Amino acid sequence: MYKLLLSLRYLRTRFIALASVVSVTLGVATLIVVNSVMNGFATEMKSRLHGILADIEMSSPGLGEIPDPEMHLSELQEICGDELENMTCLVRVPGLITFEFRGRQWTQQVMLLGVDERTFSNVCEFQPFLQNSHKQKTLDFSLADSGYSDRLGDCGWSYRRDKESNRRQVEAILEMERRRNSYDAMLGQEKAEDHSAGASTGTEPAVNFIPLPSAAPDINAIVSVQQELESPMPITPFDPASRHRRQLSPSEMFNPNRDQYPGIILGIGLANRYVLNPETGEKEELFLIRPGDDVSITLPSAGDNPQPVIDNCTLVDFYASNMHEYDQTFAFMPLERLQRIRGMIDPVTGSASVSSIHMRFREGANLEELRNKIESHFAASYLYFPYVIQTWQDTQRPLLSAVDIELTILNILLFMIIAVAGFGILATFFMIVVEKTRDIGILKALGAPSTGVMSIFLSYGLSLGAVGTGAGIVIGLIFVRQINGIADGIQWLTGREVFDPTMYFFKEIPTIVSPGMVCWVAFGAMTIAVMASVLPALRAARMHPVEALRYE
Amino acid sequence: MSTSEPFSMLKHENPTHVKAIRSGARAGLRVARPIAIRTIDVHKSYRRKGIEVPVLKGVDLEIPDGGFTAIVGKSGSGKTTLLHLLGTLDVPDAGEVWYDNQRIDNLPARKKDRLRNQSIGMIFQFYHLLPELTALENVLVPQMVGHGMFSYFRNRKKFSDRARELLDRVGLSHRLSHRPGQMSGGEMQRTAIARSLITSPALLLADEPTGNLDEENSQIVLDTLFRLCREDGITLVMVTHDDRIASQADRCVNLVNGRVE
Repeated sequence: MYKLLLSLRYLRTRFIALASVVSVTLGVATLIVVNSVMNGFATEMKSRLHGILADIEMSSPGLGEIPDPEMHLSELQEICGDELENMTCLVRVPGLITFEFRGRQWTQQVMLLGVDERTFSNVCEFQPFLQNSHKQKTLDFSLADSGYSDRLGDCGWSYRRDKESNRRQVEAILEMERRRNSYDAMLGQEKAEDHSAGASTGTEPAVNFIPLPSAAPDINAIVSVQQELESPMPITPFDPASRHRRQLSPSEMFNPNRDQYPGIILGIGLANRYVLNPETGEKEELFLIRPGDDVSITLPSAGDNPQPVIDNCTLVDFYASNMHEYDQTFAFMPLERLQRIRGMIDPVTGSASVSSIHMRFREGANLEELRNKIESHFAASYLYFPYVIQTWQDTQRPLLSAVDIELTILNILLFMIIAVAGFGILATFFMIVVEKTRDIGILKALGAPSTGVMSIFLSYGLSLGAVGTGAGIVIGLIFVRQINGIADGIQWLTGREVFDPTMYFFKEIPTIVSPGMVCWVAFGAMTIAVMASVLPALRAARMHPVEALRYE
Repeated sequence: MSTSEPFSMLKHENPTHVKAIRSGARAGLRVARPIAIRTIDVHKSYRRKGIEVPVLKGVDLEIPDGGFTAIVGKSGSGKTTLLHLLGTLDVPDAGEVWYDNQRIDNLPARKKDRLRNQSIGMIFQFYHLLPELTALENVLVPQMVGHGMFSYFRNRKKFSDRARELLDRVGLSHRLSHRPGQMSGGEMQRTAIARSLITSPALLLADEPTGNLDEENSQIVLDTLFRLCREDGITLVMVTHDDRIASQADRCVNLVNGRVE
């Protein structure tokens, strides 16, 4: 009883104990915050990487191909058995995309990925990163009417039609201009003829007459030219005239108001730029192209002698995984389309080769073991090319090991901080024991056993540890909860950006508080507090009562 | 046998009278009372910087049960050391210490602790109260030490009542919740007396309890001490160098150069 009473009283009356409590509190809070943030970063990053990458990827090195994927798929199914949940085939080829922005052609290099609409999302996390809510539910490569994220602004079919009608208006104006010029020229010619022949022919001009009283374009006139340009051709297959017209102008077959090229989904980083708005002084997102715009892609054909292949695509959506590396390189297309334009389909057998096969396994499957199994199966046979078989960790090894090293070093540093706190407690306790020498003598004179005296200081250490740890946990958890606000506050105070979302894969600082970690930190801090009080407590217990009583 | 006379004659300063009482008490006690404490050829020396300093050089002492025994002597004669040996706070280098027909100098530490806690009360010159605790809590400390948490908790009412009663008897019922720092020397010493008596010991060892007090407070403390010991029938052994106090004793032990004269 006296042990408890005294240790509580010491805790309440010794200000020096507060220093120990504060050091424990700070140590615990720091550990919780750092571990939560690191844990958040690592987990978020890993889950993103793991989601985007398949569990195991079997790919042909370079631009090589895996012929007859169906056979490979069935063999993989045989090797992996029940562990295997889903598989999908991919074509991966570097290429260029070209699009028009503000009247200029922009070309960027991309990694074109041909994905199987039906199976790709079962293997790799893909749809959640799309910006169209319909495509997030069911993946397709058609342009949508609605459902695009507000971030993109105006896009989709309405945007495409507006753009097209603008284009046609411009075309109509230009056409009108052209006709006026030719009309003027004709009038001039007629005048000259009249002048020479002395009589008017009175014939109608070859083109429709459009009165142009002034240089300013009349809207009605533009509309009528436009309507004329768009006037429906008699599109009946039996009409030789119309067939003739179609052959002459193939653009008539493709109406951007109604039609789209094969869809392509671009990484958002390929399309957006952050530009300074001079009015607000803040950076704003500017899209060079939007869903609804057309792009053209250039890519090498497959086979022995690669030739550049050019194709038109319509941008149907953006892919924003927040992994900048991916967002700035990937362009997704339907697998079959990419196979066809690259010439990957065997004209004899009709079998299309692929670049890689991606596999998703049952939760908790041992990926390393499966990888080795697959590797040994394919390496053993001369039938196969030496495929590159990697787990998602293998693929991102440099990044993951960097994160691991960071975590290890951070934990070592933090441990040193806690050790400093531990020595602080040790020093404080020695001082308290020296200060309390007389009390120890008194207690011993009153019959307190050495173990009792010792346990006063041990329980003192424990209660210091408990109070410090408790406060540390509370402060740490509050800090973690408010970390983004705190980061903003620090940014506001210092004017320097604490967390730059463009540097990382996340919009804000991710945190994950794991209860196990908090328990370990609490346990560790309590242990250090008790350990630090053991030596002083032993010293107190060994003190000779007579000498302790004499102590001044 | 009346113990009230010596306590009440504190103001008389007649050396012959003191001597008479001393010898009379000595003669009377030897026959009438059992021996409470006995030391046999007790030696004790301290080692300071490699030099051994002998303090007690063969002390043979018999203190009878009941009454007031004063241990007198000059500074450095070993009075306090002897008292510590009697109270098992220290161990003699040679010789034996007996209390209540039991050798106590070689008891295991746990039994010594128990003995100090239950059977022997101690008062010191510098009061030795715990500064963090109130007067009441200080008085209760021996009970807290002697009982486990649960047993103390069960009996806390009883203990607290006893502590209040003792503080009342030493005249401090109005100072229960004061800390030692807020009390005068006399009050602190009276608190210490109450503390020493909380476990109802049979023996009270006092080490110059008035050495740090002025005359008036000394008087109050001594009166309190004598009264309580008399009322409760406690054997009081007091180390003092004050002849006036020694003259009140039933028996006086004069320590000269580490030996009983």
